[in-house]
Order: sequence, then C-alpha cells, then structure tokens
Amino acid sequence: MSSLISPVRVESTGGLPSWLRRIGGTVTGWPAFYRAQYASNPRRVILLTLMVIGIFVYPIAYQAVPSSITRALPIPSSTVVVFMLIFGIMAIGLNIVIGFAGLLDLGYVAFYAIGAYTAAFLASPHFGGLSIVLFSDLPAGFPGIHLPFSVILILAAAVAATFGALLGAPTLRLRGDYLAIVTLGFGEIVPIFFKNLVNVNFSFLFIRLENANLTGGPLGINPIDAPSFFGIKFGVISGWAPVYLGLGLVIIAIVIARNLERSRMGRAWMAIREDEIAAEMMGVNTVRTKLLAFALGAAFAGCAGALQASYQGATTSDFFMFSTSILVVIMIILGGIGNIWGVLLGAVVVQYVDKTLLSWIGNRLSDVGAATGLEQLGRINPSTFSFLLLGITLVAMMRFRPEGFLPSRQRAAELHTAPPGEALGSSALFEEEGVIEELDPTEPGGEEDPEILEAPDETPGDQEPPP
Amino acid sequence: MTAGVTYAPGLTPLTGQVPDDQILVRSRKVTKRFGGLVAVNAVDFDIPRGSIVSLIGPNGAGKTTFFNMITGAYVPTSGEISFDGHDIVTTKGSKVRSLKPHQVTALGIGRTFQNIRLFGTMSALDNVLVGQHVHLRSRWWDAVIRSPRNHAEEEASIERGHELLRFVGLDERPHAWARNLPYGDQRRLEIARALATSPKLLLLDEPTAGMNASETRDLTDFIRRLRSELGLTVLLIEHDMRVVMGISDRVTVLDYGEVLAEGSPDEVRANPRVIEAYLGRGAAEGA
Repeated sequence: MSSLISPVRVESTGGLPSWLRRIGGTVTGWPAFYRAQYASNPRRVILLTLMVIGIFVYPIAYQAVPSSITRALPIPSSTVVVFMLIFGIMAIGLNIVIGFAGLLDLGYVAFYAIGAYTAAFLASPHFGGLSIVLFSDLPAGFPGIHLPFSVILILAAAVAATFGALLGAPTLRLRGDYLAIVTLGFGEIVPIFFKNLVNVNFSFLFIRLENANLTGGPLGINPIDAPSFFGIKFGVISGWAPVYLGLGLVIIAIVIARNLERSRMGRAWMAIREDEIAAEMMGVNTVRTKLLAFALGAAFAGCAGALQASYQGATTSDFFMFSTSILVVIMIILGGIGNIWGVLLGAVVVQYVDKTLLSWIGNRLSDVGAATGLEQLGRINPSTFSFLLLGITLVAMMRFRPEGFLPSRQRAAELHTAPPGEALGSSALFEEEGVIEELDPTEPGGEEDPEILEAPDETPGDQEPPP
Repeated sequence: MTAGVTYAPGLTPLTGQVPDDQILVRSRKVTKRFGGLVAVNAVDFDIPRGSIVSLIGPNGAGKTTFFNMITGAYVPTSGEISFDGHDIVTTKGSKVRSLKPHQVTALGIGRTFQNIRLFGTMSALDNVLVGQHVHLRSRWWDAVIRSPRNHAEEEASIERGHELLRFVGLDERPHAWARNLPYGDQRRLEIARALATSPKLLLLDEPTAGMNASETRDLTDFIRRLRSELGLTVLLIEHDMRVVMGISDRVTVLDYGEVLAEGSPDEVRANPRVIEAYLGRGAAEGA
C-alpha cells in the first residue's frame, strides 16, 4: 500500500561476493547483450563492429603499404590519429558539460592546458633541483620528477577537476550567456598564466621562490617523458603504438560517459537541461549537480592534456589557444551534441579535415601548379583556411541539420517541429529558433523571477462561484 | 488509511483547535513582497495531517506565491513556515532563512505545476526516476564503475517507477516521451513524478485546468485515492468549485494576499465576504 510512496532503499550489498557477481555478470552477459543489440538494430551493430575492426586493422595496413602510396593518399598518419583520439576524449568530456547538463563552456581549453602542464611538471627534468623517480626505467637520482604515466593521468584528471570545481563554484549560479562569458575568460587567463610564470618571486611560510622558472614561459617544458607501460614507449617517435594507448583511453572515456549518462546523475543533468526550476523542485540539488558535470568534464580534458603533453614530449602555452576551445565546441556541434558517438565522430572528422585533408589538397594543388606552370596554385595553402571552412560548415549545418551528423534523439526533437522519427534526415521542417537554441540551451534569467513560476492565472470557462 | 483528523469540521480559525502533532504544515505571518506589490500578507495557515485542503481565491490572490514559499522556491519577506517538525522558513529580526527547494522536497513535499513542467524529451519513466533522485544514494563513482550498490538501486528504482506509472494509469507507454503524451496523461505523469519524491504532503496547482467534466471527475476520485491508499495530505489550488467543494475537508480563501475566510466548504460557500470577492458587492447583498 504505502510501499509505493516510500523511497527505494538498497541494503548493504554484501561486499566482495556481490562485486564478483557484478563483474562476472558483466563478462558473461556480453554475448547476450550483443545479440540483443543486434536484434534491435542490426545495421548499427554491424557498422560499429566494422568500425572497431577497422580501427585496429588500420595501423597494420598503413605500415604494410609502401610510404610512397600512403603519402599520395589523403589518409591520416599516426600523429593525426592520436590527435583525433585526444580530441575525441575532449569532445566526450565537453559533451557531458554542454550536451548532458546544458552548460555552455567556452573555456574548455583551460583544463586541457592544466592537464598538459600537470604531466609536464610530473614527468620531466624541469625541476632539476629535485629528484623523484618512481616506477621508471630512469636511474635513481635522475634530475626532475618522473612519475609513471598512469599516475600522471589520474593526477591530471584530479587537478583539472579541482580547478573545474573552483571555477564552477562561483560561476554556475549564472545561466546561459553569462556562464559562457565567464568560462571564456577563464580559458584566456589560464594559458597566459602558464606563459608568464617564469620569474616568480614568492614567499609564504616555508615556501620561498626566487626568480623561479615554473612553466618555462613561452618556450614551455621540454622534454617530457613519453608514456610507458611494461617497457613499451608510447611517444611521438614510437610510430603507431600510441594509437592503441589513445584508443584504450577513448574506450574508457566512452564507458565512463555512458555509465554516467544512464545513472541518477545523468538523469539529473538532463532534467536540469530540460527545465532547471522543475528539476530543483523535484529534489535535484542543481548547484551541486552542475558543479559535478563541470568538474567531470574538466577531468576528461585534463586526461587529454596529459596524453597530449606526454605523447608529444613537449608543451608550450601556444598549444592552448581560445581557438582550441572553439574547435572542440565545433566538433560536438557538428557531430551531434548529446550523443557520445556523434561527438566522437565530430572530433575525428574535424581533425581529419584540419590536419590531413587540407594539407593533402595543398600538396595536390602545388603538384598541379608545377605541372601546368601556374605557380600561384602552388602558393595556396588550404590549411590556413581551416577555420573559414569550419565556419562555413557550421553555418550550413545550422541551416540544414542543426542537430549534427549523429544527433541524440533529444536534440533532434528539440530542433525540429516534427516528431523525432520523421524529423531525422529531413531538411524541410525547421524551427528558426533552432539555431539559437543550439548555442544557448539555458534560458537567461534572474535567480528569482516571478514570471517563471507564476504564470498568469487563467480563468477556466466552467468556473462556478459559490452561490 | 483514512485521515486521522480529529478536528471538528467547520471551525474557524483552526488555530488551537487541533493538537499540534496533528498539524503537518504551520505557517505564521507569512508575507511576500515583490517590490511594492504585497502578494501575500501575514497569512496564518495550518494543514492538518491526512486532510485535503483547498486554497481558492480570485486571480492574483497570491495562491501560487504561497505554494512557492512552502516549497522553498520563493523566500518570504517575513514569516515562519514549519513542516512535520522541521522549519522551512524562519525569521529572526530582519533575517529570513529558507530551505532550498531540493531540501524541502527531501523533507517530503511534492508538487505539480500550474502549467505542466515535465522534462519533455525524457521518457515517462525517466521523469519518474528524476522524482526519485533525492532519495537515491548512489554516487557518481558508483555510476562510473557500475557498482553493485548502483546496480541494485537502479533496478529497484526502475521497478518502483513502473509501479508509480501503473498507479496513475500510465504503464502502457513508459518509454514514450513526456511531451508526446496526451494532455491528461501529462497531468497524471506530473503527479506520478511528484509521488516519486515520496511526499507526505502533495501540492497540486490547478490539477484540473484544461480538463473536461469526465476527466475532472476521474481526477477528483484519484485525489481521494491519494489520501485513502497512500495516506497523503493534499493541498490544492483549484478554480473548479465542483472539485473544491466536492473533496475538500477545509477551504481557505485568499484575496489580495490575505485570508478572507477559512472553514468547511459549506461555511465558505455561505460566507458573504467570499461571495463579494468573487461576484462583487451587489451580488453579496442580493444573496
């Protein structure tokens, strides 16, 4: 009777045995899960399976083919693939903030930079006065701090999440445009901060710094230890090995983001995105929930930054421009805000066009120029047009398919008047407000707006006054 | 489980007539100003446990504003509100402290909205699951690693979600989006979502707005079931007088933010001040 009204209570779940059952269930449940997915959407499952196989086969095929052929084709090299994956992690993280919780964060690059510099501090000879070498093949007493990559990854995520929470705590009371502006400022401040921490004079309690070079300034920190597991290096000179490291991290990112999406927290984020006031009224602590989205999103960027710095073996503040923030936002808008596979696709496509296709077109143009004697053709460098092209693509997308390549069902419905099933792929049924809504998912408004909660009373026709 | 209401019906005012432990909501001198407009002025208002109480009044009388102060959405300008032994609003000197809406929800007050505010592109089931959010204990790291606790809690809450949908008669399409449901179903889904917060007190803001006569009758019966089967106390804002007079134990009339009359439906119906407020002075004199 009143069990319906009493909340769900889960008693203690029995420690290790229940954990083993959970893990066992997950492992043995896979075939059944796969079959069920196949039964419900065979095309999608086949496509996904082929994609996964393709990703693992691609490096092998690339190396098997002579380099004269790979250079002639517009196919991504190992560095480009690693950057696809790094930006894939960022896109998945930003999708939590913008796609799930509906918070427009335009300073996402700040957390990328924080992650990269965390890795640089903890795995380089930069602080030569110290010598902390842990689980490394470097000899003990080697100058600088050298921690293993797995530890760095966790620390980078934690540090970025901490800064995300610090930034979010005062600013997440703002809505829509205001939040975007504050985050934009943060995204500008952090890289400049890293650039300028060269001659630091600082004294507090027992900490005393005199002319300390903390971040290497415009030169950055260099070299940084390459990621290393079981003696295998995953640096930029290791060819295709880092691709598998990146793939592993992307898969972990996908699993975490999907688990979050389908949890109590994911539902709370979506409720906030749909109607913040109703969510608060239904018991969602909106400030804390938004803060969590912000911090977790930042943690993804922190990991991506650590991977980038360790992979390249160097980091400078010039990597972390405002344009990088915008690039990630473009990736998730093009790919499909709210859908993890969509934003991943967005990251892959944008990186491919930016880093492979445009330079390939440039090379072909100069070939043609050399062959025909039109030297002007050879001087065109399409890579410099990347933001122009992205801008045009974005405008075109907003006009014809504002929900992105692979939209989430929610976004598709929000941006079309027709029911979601019909709306997908059709271009005739658009609301003009769609574009605005895509960029500004939360309504601006004061903290206490009488109009929001108290719509004007309506007098129903059949009102019967007391006799 | 019908109401353990022991007050004699029709006593005006209620204050002092009902033992303290029978009072679920107690508000004292609650005032809310929006700039120069006094929306609610020094309202004393008690809700006995297990009763169905209606708040009526002409448009702009401050009914919804009062609702919003009980739920923590508005901080009153002054006054005190307590619920089930917990303070929601306290005033010390000029300092007014109010619980946040999610804290009020956790104490056990569920509500619906005058203009439906469901999470449109979430499924009916997900809407009800968001209602359960405040009582679920899994943390985000439980979700990240799909811990046994998270798993068990998810399954139990989904099960309860289906039960709640069944209770309001929406179990046929649990995965349909809230915005795609017919109007009457959306109203019922809002109630299911409010029930999911495990309330002791349910606030219904014009639940029959936009319904036809038979839908209204169904909803009236349904509100009675909320009390008899779930033991809820219900506070209702309603314009449809058939509903108000039919199911209320007590009726409170607000006008210009002040309590105009209070009592049983019959008493309120016969009160000349109420007639005047609704129909004007001439009608009151004629009656």
